[in-house]
Amino acid sequence: MNAQAMWLNPWISGFSFAESVPQWLLTACGLVLIYCLVIVPSGAVMGYLERKLSADFQARVGPNRAGPAGVLQPVADLLKLLQKQASRDWNWREAIWLLVHTMALYSTVAVIPLGSLLLLVDTDMSAFLPFWSALVLALGTMFLGLSQGSVPGWFGGIRVAAQALAGAFPALIALLCAGIRAGGFRWSEIAAAQSSSPLLWTAAANPFQFIAFFVFVISGLVLLGIPPMDAAFSAPDIHGGVSSHLSGRKLTVFRLGRFYGFLLWSVIAVVLFLGGWELPFGLSTELRNADSPRLLQIFELCWLLSKTFLLVLVVTWIAKVNPRSRVDQVTDFAWRVLSPFSLVALIGASLVAGWGAL
Amino acid sequence: MMRGSVFSTILGYLRDVLWGIRSVWGSCLTAIPYLFGSGELSKEVTEQYPDPISSKIADDLPPRSRGFLVNDIERCTGCKECERQCPVQCICVEAEPATDDTKIWVSVFDIDFSKCVFCGICAEVCQPASLKHTKNFEGAVYELPELVASFGRGWVTPEQRLKWAKLRQQIEDDRVIL
Amino acid sequence: MIESLKTDLTQWEIGPYDHSLPGPMLLRLRLDGELIVAGEVETGFLHRGLEKALERQLWRSAIPYADRLDPEGALFGELALCLAVEEIAALAVPPRAQSIRVILSELTRISAHMGYIVRVARAVGSETMVHYVLRDREKILDLFELATGARVSLNFLRFGGVQADVTEGFIERVLEICELLRIRLKEYNDLFTYNHAFIKRTRGIGTIAPELARAFGVTGPNARASGISFDVRKEHPYSGYDFLDFEVPVGRRESQHLGDANHRFLLRLQEISTSVEILKQSAEAITSGPFALRKPEESFEVPRGEAYIRIESSRGLLGCHLVSDGGAYPERIQFRPPSLALLSVLPQLVRGIRIEDLPVVLATLDIGVAEADR
Repeated sequence: MNAQAMWLNPWISGFSFAESVPQWLLTACGLVLIYCLVIVPSGAVMGYLERKLSADFQARVGPNRAGPAGVLQPVADLLKLLQKQASRDWNWREAIWLLVHTMALYSTVAVIPLGSLLLLVDTDMSAFLPFWSALVLALGTMFLGLSQGSVPGWFGGIRVAAQALAGAFPALIALLCAGIRAGGFRWSEIAAAQSSSPLLWTAAANPFQFIAFFVFVISGLVLLGIPPMDAAFSAPDIHGGVSSHLSGRKLTVFRLGRFYGFLLWSVIAVVLFLGGWELPFGLSTELRNADSPRLLQIFELCWLLSKTFLLVLVVTWIAKVNPRSRVDQVTDFAWRVLSPFSLVALIGASLVAGWGAL
Repeated sequence: MMRGSVFSTILGYLRDVLWGIRSVWGSCLTAIPYLFGSGELSKEVTEQYPDPISSKIADDLPPRSRGFLVNDIERCTGCKECERQCPVQCICVEAEPATDDTKIWVSVFDIDFSKCVFCGICAEVCQPASLKHTKNFEGAVYELPELVASFGRGWVTPEQRLKWAKLRQQIEDDRVIL
Repeated sequence: MIESLKTDLTQWEIGPYDHSLPGPMLLRLRLDGELIVAGEVETGFLHRGLEKALERQLWRSAIPYADRLDPEGALFGELALCLAVEEIAALAVPPRAQSIRVILSELTRISAHMGYIVRVARAVGSETMVHYVLRDREKILDLFELATGARVSLNFLRFGGVQADVTEGFIERVLEICELLRIRLKEYNDLFTYNHAFIKRTRGIGTIAPELARAFGVTGPNARASGISFDVRKEHPYSGYDFLDFEVPVGRRESQHLGDANHRFLLRLQEISTSVEILKQSAEAITSGPFALRKPEESFEVPRGEAYIRIESSRGLLGCHLVSDGGAYPERIQFRPPSLALLSVLPQLVRGIRIEDLPVVLATLDIGVAEADR
C-alpha cells in the first residue's frame, strides 16, 4: 500500500501531519492534484496550441483577443461554457450515470505513468490498465449517443462502438510489441529498455517496432474517434453525432473527458515507444545521484509532457489537412490494414527478441 | 475475387497502403510552407474588423465601390427618376415648384437604406448627377428608422407656397408683357 | 425472443434548414442502418416569386433582380436577361463590351467553382482546403469590386453593353490572377485532390450514368463529368465565345467511375483551368472602343417580341425566355435553371449511399436552390 503514495514523499516528508494522515487519503489527494495540475492545464495548453497551429496552417490569425496573443482563450471558453444554461432539466438518473462514468474514466489517473518517481501503480499489468480507460470512454460515449433519442445521436453511438471495437485489436497487439522488447509490461521495465537518445527508443529499435508505433498511434485515433477518424462526431452529416445535444457544462465535461482519453493515449505512446521520461544528456542520472527527487519529478514530467504535446500536435496537423474518413472506411482500415500490420510487427518483434535471447 | 495470383493481390494491397501514406504525407507537406515559409504564404489573410491597422476603411476601397448614397440637394432637380427606377422602391421624393420654373423645392428626399440593395441604378439615371454613391460602408444603427437618410429641404409652409405662387405668377406676367 | 428483434427502416427528415444542404430544401430519407433506401426531395422553401417580381420592374431595374436568380453566379442571370433583350431589340454589342462580358463571366465561373470546392471540402471535413480556396476566391471578388463596384451582386451589364468601361489596371490584374490560379491549382491538387482519404470518400458514390443525365436533362459540368460533351459556349456560342480557342473538359467514357462524385469534382478543377485559358485569351485580345451602344443614363425602349436565350452558367445550361409587349415593363421573363434537373435526379442518386455520403453527393452536385426555386 505504501508504495502507491511513495511519489508524494519528497513533498510531504518534512511535515509532521503526514504521519497521522491515512495513506489512502494521501493517495486520493495526490490523484486530485495530478488531475488539477497536470491534466486540466494540459487540456488548456493543447486547446490553445491546436488552434494557433491550425490558424497558422490556414493563413489565419487564430485566437488573439483574450490576453496577450490570445493565451487566455481556453479560460474564456471555459467561463463561457460554464455559464450557459442547461438545455435539459436536471435528472438524477443521468447524474448518477455521469458520476459513475466520470469516476470510472478518471480512476485511470492512478495508473498513468508520469516519470520515474511519479509511477503511481507499477505492476506487471501496468501498460494494459490505461488501455481500458479508452474502452470505458467509448462505452460512455456510445451510451451518451444512444440516450439522446435522436437519429444523429443514435448513429454517433453506433459509430463510436464500431470504431472502438475495430481500433482495440491492433492497439493491443502493438502494445504487446513494446512489451516483448522490454521484457514486461511494468512501466519501469519499459522505460529501462529505452534511453534518452532517439536511436535507443523502442520505435527506432527495429522496423517492426517502428510499424508498431505507427499502428499504436493510429489505432488510438480510431479507438477514441480523434480527427481525422472522428466519423462519430462529424458535423456535416449527423450534426456532431454524440455531442449534438450537448451544450454548456455537459459539453465541457465531455470535451475534457475526450481530451483526457487522447492525452492518456499519447502519454502511453510516448512511454512505450518514444523514450518515455528519460531526460537527455544523462540529467536523470545526475539528478538521481544528487538526491533531488522533487526536481527529478518536475523535469521528467515536463519532458514527458512536451514529447506528448509534440505527438498531439503532429496528429492535429494530419487531422487539419486531411478529410474526415467515413466510418466504414475507418473500421475497414483498422481491420484490414492496421491489424495485419500489427500482427506482422508482433511476429517481427518476437523474432528479434528471440534472436537476441539466443 | 479470384482475379490474379496471391502474390499480385498482396502487391496491390501494399501498393495501396503505400499510396495512402504518400498522399497523406503529401497533403501534410503542402501546409508546411504556411508555417515556416516567408512572403505571401505566411501572411495572414484575416482582416480584423474594428482594427485601425489591418481593417479596410472607405479610402481603401476601389473608386467604384457602391457604399451609402448621398444626394447633393443643391443640384437635385426633383425629377423623381431615381424614385421611378429604384428596383426596391427605397427612395421617396416630394418636390414642388419654387420661386420660378427653373427652381424646384425638393421638400422630401428620403432613402431607406434598410431596403436599398446598392445596385447603383439611381445614381446612374440621375441627370444632374446629384445622387452619388459614397465609399462609406459603416452604417450600423440601433433602430431601423435610423437607417432612413433624409436629404430633403423640409416641407413648405402654406404661406410660403402662396408667396412662391405669386412670384411665379409675376414672372409669368412679365414674360407675357415682354 | 427473435420476434422482438425487429429492425425496421428509420425515417429521417433533414431540412429545410440544415448546414449539410446546399440551401433550404427538405430531404425525407428512409434509412436501413446507415444506408439510404429511399429519399424524397421537397423544394420551394426559397421561392421568392422572382419571375413575377421581374414583371413589375422597369427594364433597367430588372437587371438587379436577375442578379438574384443565383446569388453565387450573379452575372449569369444578368447576362441571360441582357442577351434576350438584345435579341429582341436586335442590338449588336460592341466588341469591347463582349470581351468585358466574357472576362466577367469567366471570373464568375471561377469564383462559383471555388465556392463549390469549398463546399465539397467542408462536406468531407477538410478544414485547411476550405480556408485556402476562400482566400483565393476573395481575390476574384476584389476584382469584381474594382471593375463594377460590387462584390457579389454586380449589376454591371446593360442592354447593348456594360455599364462602364473597366477601370485602369483591371486587365493587368486579371492576368495576374490567371498566373496565381495556375500556382494555386497545383497546391489544391497536392493538398486535396490526390489525397487518398478524399478519393476514398468521393469515388463511386452518387454516380450519374450518361443515360440518367440525358433522361433528367442534367447539363453543365455534371453532365460533362458523365461523358456528355455539351457546352453552350461551344454548341451555341454567344458573346464572342466562338472567337476564342478553348477546350471543354469532358469525362472519359472508358473511365470506370464515370460520373461519380470524384469525377464531378475533378471536372470542376479542369473547368477552372479552361476558364483561366479563356480569361488570358480575352484579356489579351481586348480591343479599344465603346463599351456600350448608348450612354448608361439614356432611356430606351424594348420593342415587341419574344426570345429564348441559352448560356452556360457555372452549373449548366441557363435559359431565359423573354416576352416583351413593347411597353415599359417586361411581359414575361422565365428562367430555365440548371439546378432543377439536379433536384429531380437527386432521389435516384441518394438510393444506396450511406448517410455520410449524402453531404458529399449534395456538395458535388452543386445544386443552386435559389435558382431552382426562383
